[in-house]
Amino acid sequence: MSATIGLQALRRNTAGVDVSGALNLVGTLIKYLSAAFLFPTVLALGYGEPAWPYVASGMIVLAFGLVLERVTSRGGVIRAQEGFLVVSVVWALAAWAVALPYLFAEPQLRNPIDAYFEAMSGITTTGATTLIDIAALDQSMAMWRQFSQWIGGMGIVVLALAILPRLRVGGSRQLVESEMPGPEYEPLKTTIRDTARRLWLVYVGLSALMTLILCILGWTGIDDLMTEYQAAAHMFAAMPTGGFSPQPRSLEPFAPASQWVIGVFMLLAGANFALHYRAVVRRASPFRDEEFRLYLAFIFVATAGIFLELLRADIFAAGEGALRNAFVNVVSIMTTTGFATSDFALWTGATSFIFVVLMLIGGCAGSTAGAIKVVRVSLLAKALHREVDQTIHREAVVPLSVNGRIVDERTVRAVLGFLLFYLLLFLGGAFVLAIEEARAGLEAAPFVHVATSATMLGNVGPSLGFAGPMGSMDPYSPFSKSVMILLMWAGRLEIIPVAVLLTRRYWRA
Amino acid sequence: MKILIVGAGQVGSTIVEALHDEHELTVIDLDQARLNALGHRFDVLTTEGNGASRRTLQDAGIADADLLIACTSRDEANLVSAMLARALSKAKTIVRTTNVEFLDVWRERQLDVDFVVSSEVETATAIGRIIGMPNAKQTDVFADGQVEIVEFDVPVDLAHGETIGLPLREARIPGESKVASIIRGEQLLVPRGHESIMPGDRVIVIGSPEAAREWSGIVSQAAAPIDDVVIYGAERTGVALARVLLDQGIRVRIIEPDTARARRVAEELTGARVFQASGLDPDFIDRERIGQTGAAVFAMRDDEINLYAATLARIHGVRFTIAVVDEPASVAVLEHAGVDVAVNPRSVTAEEIVRFAHDPRVRQMTMLEGDRYEVLDITVREDSELVGKPFRELPMTGSLIGAIVRNGSAVFPHGDDMLLAGDRAIIFTESSRTARVERVL
Amino acid sequence: MTALGVDVGAALNLIGALLRYLSLAFLVPAVLALGYDEPVWPFAVSGVITAAAGVGLGAMTHGRERIGPREGFLIVALVWLLIPAFGALPFLLDEPQLSNPMDAFFEAVSGFTATGATVLTDIDALPKAMAMWRQLTHWLGGMGIIVLAVAVLPRLRIGGRQLLESELAGPQEVERLGATIRETARRLWVLYIGLTVVAILALASLGWSGADPAMNLYEGVAHAWSALALGGFSTKNLSLAAFQPITQWVILGFIVLAGINFLRLYRVIVQRHASLVARDEELRLYLTFLVVGSALVLIEVLAGGFLSGAEAVRSSIFQAVSIMTTTGFATSDYTRWGALALMTLLVLMFIGTSAGSTGGSIKVVRHLLVWKLIRRELTQTVHREEVLPIRLSGAVVDERALRSVVIFFPIYMGLFALGAVLLAIDARRSHLALGAFDAIGAAAACLGNIGPAFGFAGPFGSYEPFSDLSTGVLTGLMWLGRLEIIPVAVLLSRRYWRA
Repeated sequence: MSATIGLQALRRNTAGVDVSGALNLVGTLIKYLSAAFLFPTVLALGYGEPAWPYVASGMIVLAFGLVLERVTSRGGVIRAQEGFLVVSVVWALAAWAVALPYLFAEPQLRNPIDAYFEAMSGITTTGATTLIDIAALDQSMAMWRQFSQWIGGMGIVVLALAILPRLRVGGSRQLVESEMPGPEYEPLKTTIRDTARRLWLVYVGLSALMTLILCILGWTGIDDLMTEYQAAAHMFAAMPTGGFSPQPRSLEPFAPASQWVIGVFMLLAGANFALHYRAVVRRASPFRDEEFRLYLAFIFVATAGIFLELLRADIFAAGEGALRNAFVNVVSIMTTTGFATSDFALWTGATSFIFVVLMLIGGCAGSTAGAIKVVRVSLLAKALHREVDQTIHREAVVPLSVNGRIVDERTVRAVLGFLLFYLLLFLGGAFVLAIEEARAGLEAAPFVHVATSATMLGNVGPSLGFAGPMGSMDPYSPFSKSVMILLMWAGRLEIIPVAVLLTRRYWRA
Repeated sequence: MKILIVGAGQVGSTIVEALHDEHELTVIDLDQARLNALGHRFDVLTTEGNGASRRTLQDAGIADADLLIACTSRDEANLVSAMLARALSKAKTIVRTTNVEFLDVWRERQLDVDFVVSSEVETATAIGRIIGMPNAKQTDVFADGQVEIVEFDVPVDLAHGETIGLPLREARIPGESKVASIIRGEQLLVPRGHESIMPGDRVIVIGSPEAAREWSGIVSQAAAPIDDVVIYGAERTGVALARVLLDQGIRVRIIEPDTARARRVAEELTGARVFQASGLDPDFIDRERIGQTGAAVFAMRDDEINLYAATLARIHGVRFTIAVVDEPASVAVLEHAGVDVAVNPRSVTAEEIVRFAHDPRVRQMTMLEGDRYEVLDITVREDSELVGKPFRELPMTGSLIGAIVRNGSAVFPHGDDMLLAGDRAIIFTESSRTARVERVL
Repeated sequence: MTALGVDVGAALNLIGALLRYLSLAFLVPAVLALGYDEPVWPFAVSGVITAAAGVGLGAMTHGRERIGPREGFLIVALVWLLIPAFGALPFLLDEPQLSNPMDAFFEAVSGFTATGATVLTDIDALPKAMAMWRQLTHWLGGMGIIVLAVAVLPRLRIGGRQLLESELAGPQEVERLGATIRETARRLWVLYIGLTVVAILALASLGWSGADPAMNLYEGVAHAWSALALGGFSTKNLSLAAFQPITQWVILGFIVLAGINFLRLYRVIVQRHASLVARDEELRLYLTFLVVGSALVLIEVLAGGFLSGAEAVRSSIFQAVSIMTTTGFATSDYTRWGALALMTLLVLMFIGTSAGSTGGSIKVVRHLLVWKLIRRELTQTVHREEVLPIRLSGAVVDERALRSVVIFFPIYMGLFALGAVLLAIDARRSHLALGAFDAIGAAAACLGNIGPAFGFAGPFGSYEPFSDLSTGVLTGLMWLGRLEIIPVAVLLSRRYWRA
């Protein structure tokens, strides 16, 4: 008995967070990440392009991961507290890893901030670019950009469905319907492993399906532009709701059929992956999910609104073109992907407004989408309604429910807290960008910066004005880009893990 | 003295046990069975009835009583008994209360009662002292805190040093203190010059609070003072304890399962951190690193739950555990199970009351080692035969004068000091000699 | 008898009473008009019509004097619509610049809600009595017609507390300044009147002593009324730029004072509890915001070379304070200043004054509580079981109150965004050159009851170019802002009307 006590006491020696153990896990993950560099290496060899940037990067990343593992001690159980540190650091380091090939061999991304921006935009599946001439990229480099988003998506699936709920970030615990709720005492690593296994199957499965369908469109001649390369490239960006494209004009040059297909898959990618899993494995209808229904409703209403506006402003003639452009772009923005079928920065003020609202709402919880998430918006609306109710009937006890299940007050508070954080960062970001760009002399309407802040925080991608879907973030000053990198990073992690790291209480006992 | 005791519960019984051989006791209670039990064990009179009724009090002989002790579990009844006693006789009144507010009102002299004892406050203070000196088995305070009597267990594996292992006349004794007694096995040793304190002994020390802490340091192995305490349970005792500790500048964390109570305490005590949790969840204990606390006090309602929580805490590394128990029997159970100190609030209360009840010249009294030894606070009479004698010349009769309170301040006498009339002498003596000591002084 | 859950009749009855009292207010401009030899009839007629309406309403709803807490929401919403409606009568009757009913209503609402936005293009051209009526609307509306009602009408002994709370806004319970609610309301008005008198004397003496030739008793009264109500109307086109620096400083002082919680102010000034000041977290934050805001604006003004020296300091501070306290006086045209200044001023528009003052916008205490909430959320992310009550100046804040504060933010921002968008859309429809920033500014300035915005609606400009629809939207925003939105949300829910 004394031995057991002794062992336990030994483990609990550190006050505060087990930094060493957390970094050890980070090292392991980074180590695995190095395997990703094989893919562009093979491509480069195949296309006769320089492969050394990828090989070199891969080796450096591998070495770094190994060293980090070696230097830090194999910590005990990784608990929630270490979890915050792990996710924050992993994403920051992964972006650095992804940026290496850009730094080595991409002339447009020589500036470290630009390279890091592009990498962070990839790994957080944002999809905003600082490149001015996308067509000038090597095929392997372009594909590396796409691939970085697919990898980011895999991480995000696990993040959204296993880690963040466990950390109870922003009410995720009760709001995210996951397949593996995971009992509290189960080590985080086990939950992650189990969730990852199941959901990556869905992720890979859908990826394969999408690639196949797109390829078929290419083979049958419906879309001559859709080669295997383009199919894979766009799948890599669509599944994780990323938004990069090797095409300077995004989806515009492709045939309507391809655009519709990509639109549909984006819609699927923006829905809770657990729903897909259940639909396949247990034949449960996703329509039973309240969030999913609301998600579809938002898409429907927004599409209708944009459709009417497009007609009214004579941008498209009534017909399939207008409908397709409305639908695909709405889905793209709402799922925070960022593809565009035409330059909507040139559309009307009303459409811009609708798009910014969609950027703030985001996709479903438990998907690769970002922003506030439909379920939280729905909870906010319910909380609002309850507030009015309770203003009239002071003593009324009105529990809120999601999907038929009561949500406890802690969760409601967490959601409201998250919303305030989001609002704070969104407005603060817009403010800082506006001032900085005014100082730097950039000619742009202030609303552009509002959209930029929203798009970065929500990991959407395109903004308005010069930073629109066919444009680039390049004109922004380095300081602004740094701010945007921070927004992307914080937004992907749902802000709280990053914010927690800034409090003193976290680091002390 | 003729003493009326209202209430034959735990507190009442303990008081009876302490006072029955020296005073004439009459016990009042509504429960005949309890009265019978007491009556059989001790030579006391019993009256069945409601202590808060005039008729009952009169029947019990309040008219010529010297002291009324109202110690039922109901505050209001106790208060009424005291009020009636005041109206019906010249008896002094002692009231037991669970309400800290009554205590405050009494301190402001708004309550016409001679002495009020609050279980919670006494327990909290007692535990506070224990935490201040974790190696002390028992600590008592006299003369408004100026004199402390502490009982230490000298660890068996303590190395010999300047104080331990050397004959007393050569050993370094902290200033302003005296060794009152060395207990080896069953034997009580008078601390003459040739005696030494050996590891494994139990030492009783009388001295100033600073000296007591020095002794604590000498006797202890882990030198770190406790600066952070976790309290399980935010009932009255827990909250009172939290206040005491916060006043001492100790960090306090409170664990309370009940949501509403947790919230109330969090609002009241601004300095403490409050957690709404059962305390029985290993994950919570792990996460909040409860195991790293200096001491944990278990003051939840249930002895069984306290035991479980305490054991769980020890498994997670808590070094020092104190439990507040309900049943007297639980003291032994918990201490055997590994809890370092188990405190019974009722014993503490009874002790406090008995202290007051003793010879009016005798201001305080405490009992050590069961009942074997007592410490008295006696005011020296003018005509005492020991007045004017230097200490060096006082007879050693198995009693030791540990300290003198002269004009309100404590003096720890050396050989040349003299005992003066009117001094309050803090004396350590065997129980059997108490009467004699009182006579001499 | 009432199938409805709310006694509409009782609400209307109270409004009727208030209208009867309002009709008396017209005496002031009437007397002035006599004195300055201007037309008296607009005010006389308005007074009669208002009185008649009041009497009529009272007769129609006779016997329904009792109001309960539920009627409060309806009353508050109606008061801030109907009182200005009747208050607009003089404008409609005899002010050529306000002959459009939409414009007259806008001006009246802007007056009573102490916003200070104007559709007049030439204020100097107003007759003295008419101009003073404008200022009076500020003063009457500043402390709140309802507070006045509670102070004066005996029938409001019941239900008065809820009304007072709806009026004085802010998340906490209204501290009592006396034994009854009526006492509290009365003392508030006494303080308000007292401060106004002091301000009038201070300003007037500036004129009498010759320190400011433009200042006299008339201007003193006019600007004191506007300053204490944190309104912003002036009798001059150039607002306070028409006066000397010393006057501007004096008015600045009163504005800062009026931005403090009047309940607290009463305890400090009248009951002499000076220690309250040190402990009051809201007050500290209020002052901090003022200082920081002024500093940021000053930096930009100096760096950009828009003004220099003492004038730069004075104007920057004044502008920042004026906007944040939702007053709206101006000492110089800030629309010319650089991005940092403009953005800072825009942000200040969303901060507001302390709760329980005559100002508007979100209010400092809400920001304070939200900040504490966010920090608590972070702590509780790490320490899940820890109970962390939130305290404000030492007192624990009820969780329900916190929830309503949190909810308030998205609603406010949402309404603001909606307002801005409507303005933008309508601007295109009516071919008005309205930049996005200007639309945002106008929406924010009206919702927060500030007054001047950016662009043509700037401090020396006017809201006149807006179409009727936009004017309507802006009026709605002013109304919602003054009510702090929730009562309207309540009125929109079905539950409210059902029994």
